[in-house]
Amino acid sequence: MAALLRAVRAGRALRGLGSSKYGPPPAAASFDLVAAPAAKPECVSVKRGFRCAALMLQDESKSNKHVGQDPTAGTTQGESTSNTHADESTRANSSFQDESEEQGEEYETEEQLQGRILAAALEFVPQHGWTAEAIAAGAETLGLSSASAGMFNNGAGDLVLHFVAQCNSQLADILAEQHKQVQLGQAEPKKTADFLRDAVETRLRMHVPYIETWPQAMSILLLPHNIPEALKHLSTLVDDIWYYAGDRSTDMNWYRKRAALTGIYNTTELVMLQDSSPDFQDTWIFLDNRIQDAVNMATSAKQLQSTGEAVVQGLMGAALTLKNLSGMNQRR
Amino acid sequence: MQRSAYVALHEWSQKAFPVIVRQRAKSRGSPWSSRCYSVVPPALDSEEKEMLDRILRVDHAGEYGASRIYAGQMAVLGRSSTGPLIQEMWDQEKKHLEKFNEILAESRVRPTALLPLWNVAGYLLGASTALLGKEGAMACTVAVEESISEHYNSQIRALMEKDPERYTELLKVIKEFRDDEMDHHDTGLEHDAESVSNNNFMPQYSVQYTFFPPDLGTWILAT
Repeated sequence: MAALLRAVRAGRALRGLGSSKYGPPPAAASFDLVAAPAAKPECVSVKRGFRCAALMLQDESKSNKHVGQDPTAGTTQGESTSNTHADESTRANSSFQDESEEQGEEYETEEQLQGRILAAALEFVPQHGWTAEAIAAGAETLGLSSASAGMFNNGAGDLVLHFVAQCNSQLADILAEQHKQVQLGQAEPKKTADFLRDAVETRLRMHVPYIETWPQAMSILLLPHNIPEALKHLSTLVDDIWYYAGDRSTDMNWYRKRAALTGIYNTTELVMLQDSSPDFQDTWIFLDNRIQDAVNMATSAKQLQSTGEAVVQGLMGAALTLKNLSGMNQRR
Repeated sequence: MQRSAYVALHEWSQKAFPVIVRQRAKSRGSPWSSRCYSVVPPALDSEEKEMLDRILRVDHAGEYGASRIYAGQMAVLGRSSTGPLIQEMWDQEKKHLEKFNEILAESRVRPTALLPLWNVAGYLLGASTALLGKEGAMACTVAVEESISEHYNSQIRALMEKDPERYTELLKVIKEFRDDEMDHHDTGLEHDAESVSNNNFMPQYSVQYTFFPPDLGTWILAT
């Protein structure tokens, strides 16, 4: 156990990941404190070993905090050496710092680490496709072993879902920013159709760097075990767009609008896959037409309803007139 | 000077927006409400968000159903002597519904998908009990309001158990509405609802069983 820990730390020192954070004396002292709680179970496999290492690191950082004012010293040390190492190391330091502030959130650390690996893996997607190889390549750029791709049980599915979630939150940020601009009076509010078109276009443009491999990504999302989460992301996306478009309905229209936009988004995405026009002009024209269709349908439905009401009124009036004419309304 | 005012406003709105960065991975990226003041506090995590969502969705569905019940009653008894009374109670329900519409919209809560069902069912219930006469309509009102009050009470209890400080505003709203519903209940009792229980046919119990058991009903309403 102790030997494993030392080996991991030595490995980390070589890779420059957070090594500078632990000056010799405090670390040695805290190590004994860590040894007791760190009876992390049999770290046999590499995957679990890696996870254990991450947990050890976090435990150490926590106990470092307890032992002395090390974090501040550690951080400055970390920052000074960050110039020589990749930015990821300082981010790792500060992220581990932040995580050590919370109580026992090992899950957070792993999630963040997974997020970083997947973000790095996106670079290799054009080359390897949406596969575990891309994840492995991404892990290697972070200085981790390529075997850490085994951390992702869902493999390529994790990568695609992470990308989709990232795009959705980027779009939400953009829409929130625009919303703020409008509220501050610095921008004109757009008409609903224009807003929807711009939002969907912005979102679909995020696929452009990966458009060659996007059919593969879509098919991965259609795998049965990925469908629930993919649908969740899609519904979040559509709800965000409608919310910022100003929809505040609380009846069946809530469902109708989202269903319509989901249809528009999905069909436009499919069209984009086969579009070879410059800058996807055909796709945006298609999108425009579909939105116009939806708007027209809504207008027609409204007109139909008001016409129907008028017709009913007319019929009632006619019936009353007949009753009067035939004398049925008279009281004798 | 205008520019600095804009900047100040921007910074103020930045601070005031309840954006919680750390939880972005777990929850949606956008702030829960676009206004700084809202009845419902911004949820800290997805679990709380879900709990609040269910509460608000059920309440909204309940008020919507109640509104439709009164509409049904008015359709039958609107021109009788009890018309104004039912109209008054209906107006209060409409106000409740409006308030919940507001809350749902600003907290981005999904309305229940069964709204069309409650639309029809509520109207039919109101109309059919009104066909039994004024007593029938009042019995229906008593039963419905009793169930709703019970329901609001259990929600108040749940929220108080969790964190009364946090949900002060929401509790205020729910308490106010519960008091209104109790008023309707008492009004129904005043206006000869009890006389129906002497008959063999007991519409108020059939209405109560429609809403019973509360958990199942809540589950259905929250869909």
